[in-house]
Amino acid sequence: MAALTEQIALARSADAPARKTPGGIGDSLFRLASYGSALLVLLFLVGILGSIAYGGWPAFREFGPGFITSSAWNIGQEQYGAFVAIIGTIASAFLALLIGVPLSLGIAVYLTQLCPGWARKPVSMTIELLASVPSIIYGMWGLFIFAPLFASYVQIPVSSLVEGMPIVGTLFYARVPSGVGILTAGIILAIMIVPFVASITRDMLDQIPTVLRESAYGIGCTTWEVVRHVLVPQASVSIIGAIMLGLGRALGETMAVTFVIGNANRLSASVFDPGSTIASRIANEFNEADGMQLHALMALGCILFVVTFIVLIIARLLVRRVKVA
Amino acid sequence: MNAPTEITQAQLTGRHQADENAPIRIAVKDLNFYYGSFHGLKSVNLNFHDRQVTALIGPSGCGKSTLLRTFNRIYSLYPEQRAEGQIMLDGRNILDPRIDLNELRSKIGMVFQKPTPFPMSIYDNVAFGLRLYERLSKADLDIRVEESLRKAALWDEAKDKLKQSGMGLSGGQQQRLCIARTVAQRPEVILFDEPTSALDPISTGRIEELIEQLRSEFTIVIVTHNMQQAARISQFTAFMYLDELVEFGPTTRIFMNPEKRQTQDYITGRFG
Repeated sequence: MAALTEQIALARSADAPARKTPGGIGDSLFRLASYGSALLVLLFLVGILGSIAYGGWPAFREFGPGFITSSAWNIGQEQYGAFVAIIGTIASAFLALLIGVPLSLGIAVYLTQLCPGWARKPVSMTIELLASVPSIIYGMWGLFIFAPLFASYVQIPVSSLVEGMPIVGTLFYARVPSGVGILTAGIILAIMIVPFVASITRDMLDQIPTVLRESAYGIGCTTWEVVRHVLVPQASVSIIGAIMLGLGRALGETMAVTFVIGNANRLSASVFDPGSTIASRIANEFNEADGMQLHALMALGCILFVVTFIVLIIARLLVRRVKVA
Repeated sequence: MNAPTEITQAQLTGRHQADENAPIRIAVKDLNFYYGSFHGLKSVNLNFHDRQVTALIGPSGCGKSTLLRTFNRIYSLYPEQRAEGQIMLDGRNILDPRIDLNELRSKIGMVFQKPTPFPMSIYDNVAFGLRLYERLSKADLDIRVEESLRKAALWDEAKDKLKQSGMGLSGGQQQRLCIARTVAQRPEVILFDEPTSALDPISTGRIEELIEQLRSEFTIVIVTHNMQQAARISQFTAFMYLDELVEFGPTTRIFMNPEKRQTQDYITGRFG
């Protein structure tokens, strides 16, 4: 009897489907592939940054800190300075945020709080479609259609209105009302970042628990008070994140800006005057650049990297402050 | 014979007796409620007595929260929801479209299933509602905030960190903060929608004590899933089942001597 059971047990163990031993060749291959993919991204980033820094190094060595502070950009005399492009980059991105962020918040609040159910989807879709328009289209539209209209309906009347006034007379005076300029670039950029900022903000507002919204209404708040004091502060960290994403796009956007910024290497206090950004300068000149000019363009690229990086750090600090408060 | 009945009998003795002569604060007449085409409440008639705690009990989905949510018309945030009938408060029908909703909601406070501190400091959380409706000097505001936090039994724990975020408090403290915020507006009625369902037993106990104390000043309506809780803290109980009011009366009678078979079955745990 006992022997029989033993036999059965033996037979069973022999028949039982054996589990493959772990740690076979497939597993190690899979691990290697995953590690490799992750490392590859890092490698690309370091490689790009390194090669651009290497390419720009002669310009930094030649002009020293003057490369950042100088506003000269003279190809004939081989004098290069990045100041105008840096200011143009920051100014156009800042204007884009100034115009785009309130617009995006308005859209997000409308979609989540005020919009009747049937209109929600079409409006949302339209906004998201804006994001899929290629930037060359924005550039073309901006230069051929928007700029002439902007010149005749905004730049010329505003310029003649503010001429001679202190501060606004400088800020809003167009010497050559051609329609292109820093503000035009800012407006086009604003249109380009709105879909991102608005749709992320909308998603964040949607994620706020219903009870929080109801309890704000429950103590007698109007919609404005609920949005202003409860919903937006509740989502503030994510909203700042969304704005930073928009800022990142505005700083680096090339094609649309190159079309409408005017590409002048001139420092002007007026937002109607043409200027240039780092990206537009590179896009304009890379074609025939060699020697020191190429080094200078590489160095510009490095600066764009650094500017974006600084913006990101400031954003992180801001986010941390919001979290603590 | 059944566990729930034994517990309630022990709890019912020595509890404050219902004052059936107390004036009527809210009178519900022929109230019907619709979620789109779904009939959510079927001709409910019910009176809520002044400075008494009335518990709304019944199985999930029976309409007790729906009923509660008509009193401050919070349902009107959702366009597909509507109520018909009369809910009289101070001689006015609050379902009247001409009623100023914000003013109504400042008179009828509400505390929710989950604590809902606003993203601001403890002080500002309490002062928030006050700032909306009253122009108070800084000193008066300080007094009202302290008074409200004391009434919500949170002052001792919060007085040293009034400037800190309300989000940093524990769940039970957050719920008491929400009660302080509601109390600060000096409402006539406070609605509690399962206020302890997200809390541990100790925090639950404190909230229940607090509701007992608040009764001296406010008319209280509480929705609860927990029959023992209804027995412990309420003077009146309304039992609802399948979108209808089945039985209403002093808590002692509902639990000891229900008139309807369904009530009997529910409180003895035969269904629910």
